[in-house]
Amino acid sequence: MQDFEQYNSIITTGVYGSAIALILIGLYAVLIKKHLIKIVIGLSIIDAGVHLLFVAIGYIKGGTAPIFSPGNEDAAQQMVDPVPQALVLTAIVIGFAVTAVALSLVIRLYKHHNTARIDQIKSLKW
Amino acid sequence: MVISPVHYIAVPLLAAFTIPLLSKYIHKELARIVPGIVLLYSVFVSIVLMMQVSEVGVISEKIAGWSAPWGINLVFSPFSGFLASLMSVVGFLIWLYSYNFKKIEQEQSQKYHILQMMMVTGAIGIVLTGDIFNLFVFMEITAITAYSLTSFYRERDGAEAGFKYLLIGSFASVMILLAVMILYTQLGTLNMAEIAQKSHLMPTSIKATVLVLFLIGFGIEAEMFPLNGWAPDAYSQAPGPIGAAFAGIVVKAGVYALIRVIFTLFDIHGAYDFLIYGGLITMIIAETAAVAQTNLKRMLAYSSIGQMGFVLIAFGIGTKTAIVGALFLMFNHAVIKSLLFMSGSYLTYNSVSKKISALAGLGKKLPIVSILFGLGAFAIVGLPPFSGFWSKLYVLTAAADQNMLLLIMAILAVSVIEIIYYFRVVSTLYYGKQEEEIEVQKPSINAMVSMLVLGATIIVVGVYPDIVTNFFDSAADMLLDKASYIQAVLTQNIN
Repeated sequence: MQDFEQYNSIITTGVYGSAIALILIGLYAVLIKKHLIKIVIGLSIIDAGVHLLFVAIGYIKGGTAPIFSPGNEDAAQQMVDPVPQALVLTAIVIGFAVTAVALSLVIRLYKHHNTARIDQIKSLKW
Repeated sequence: MVISPVHYIAVPLLAAFTIPLLSKYIHKELARIVPGIVLLYSVFVSIVLMMQVSEVGVISEKIAGWSAPWGINLVFSPFSGFLASLMSVVGFLIWLYSYNFKKIEQEQSQKYHILQMMMVTGAIGIVLTGDIFNLFVFMEITAITAYSLTSFYRERDGAEAGFKYLLIGSFASVMILLAVMILYTQLGTLNMAEIAQKSHLMPTSIKATVLVLFLIGFGIEAEMFPLNGWAPDAYSQAPGPIGAAFAGIVVKAGVYALIRVIFTLFDIHGAYDFLIYGGLITMIIAETAAVAQTNLKRMLAYSSIGQMGFVLIAFGIGTKTAIVGALFLMFNHAVIKSLLFMSGSYLTYNSVSKKISALAGLGKKLPIVSILFGLGAFAIVGLPPFSGFWSKLYVLTAAADQNMLLLIMAILAVSVIEIIYYFRVVSTLYYGKQEEEIEVQKPSINAMVSMLVLGATIIVVGVYPDIVTNFFDSAADMLLDKASYIQAVLTQNIN
């Protein structure tokens, strides 16, 4: 049992840590990288980090699926919270839409300026 | 049929899915007629619901039979209802204006009108929803349509402006999502009324973190300095009527979200001061930048940012007079700035550079459009017979009541700056020497009608401000009375 607890806490730290790491990696890509595609990838990575964080907070150690079944009516304490998972599904779809729009804008920019590097596209003042 | 707030959202969504099919299999023209019918229906729903709301108080609509704290609900209060009605009316007028908008071929026109309708729908959703995550979803619907409309013209630099907007907008959405997540871990609820009820249970440090995340996220949509880098480019590269829609609809939704979070969700007093300072800096910087602009639309965009700063100041003062003033300002800004963008885009119709100097002498060639632009310019700087005067007067009175003399000085100084750059345009219109021969474009009848409606509104409200201030009064009461909002949402749904 002791081992299990320890193992669980490592997992928890790992999940939270990797979520935050993903957000930071994504931010790095968005802020530092000059290539438009890399910036879009960075945006997706930030999104992934936030989603992971979201799912992680709804998790309960040794939790079960949030389904009430006969004979297990008092299982609510042990259930994993389903709301964050539902929210993450929505957020993933939104992130997908934003990425699609972003990529189509990148194509448009590439056709217009013949380059996909952000430091060479300067027709508007920043 | 019972009219309910759901119609604002369900009807346009259904229409958006069916329009491509209708236009492919029945008639091409349906692609631009149906959005107009849908927006007109939204106006009708607004009228019916506004009449109901003046009797009932608050209409809280639960969706799919799930009661308030568990399901998503729509709240049509005098405050949110006023904004939703304003948005649907402006949205319809923008549709009317852009019905046979220039250079839009049939194929593109189809997308344009669907996107414009969805942008209005998303903004109305932001205003009506009672659920914080639902607010995020509607914010994204508005934002995604706004990105695509910004980059609508292929020959302009729209894609660049759109991509810039998208980068900043995605950052905003991450911030809002993080804030929603922290709120959920702390309180275990997403319903705004319940969050408001329980928000005192949170430790102050976490409350402040969430508030800052929300301020950054919604501040970007509300064009608050220094988060408004997207605005001038987006306004100037988007098609003309979309500039009007940004000023009249999208930004209003951002300001609403900001105000809802500060006034209802968290009652931290420092946040009001923050609104005043943030608004003041935004206003001063934007109005000063507007003077330096040579491009007409960029100038209007900076002016729009400045006006939003003014609205934030008015909300930050926080007394009832100030909030009535702020709502009046939002109303005026939606009407006047839409008129300015609409008439401005006919004035710069065939000019490639869209420079202010290209307007020289158009006062004689396009008399009615020029008069309407001049009317808008006079109204927005706050000259007495027009509606802009009353809103400024309300805010200044409220500031004087609170003895904020420096603030009054700043507002008046900025008004002088506004007069300088707007009158420069008007004098170029009438007295400027024409340098290049530009073929003028006569506005179509529907565009003319929609501009005349806006112009008439400015004059009528300017002469009889009482017809709108009643609405602002009850809306301001509603916004300040947090307890009745919570009660209306949470108790109506028990039975």
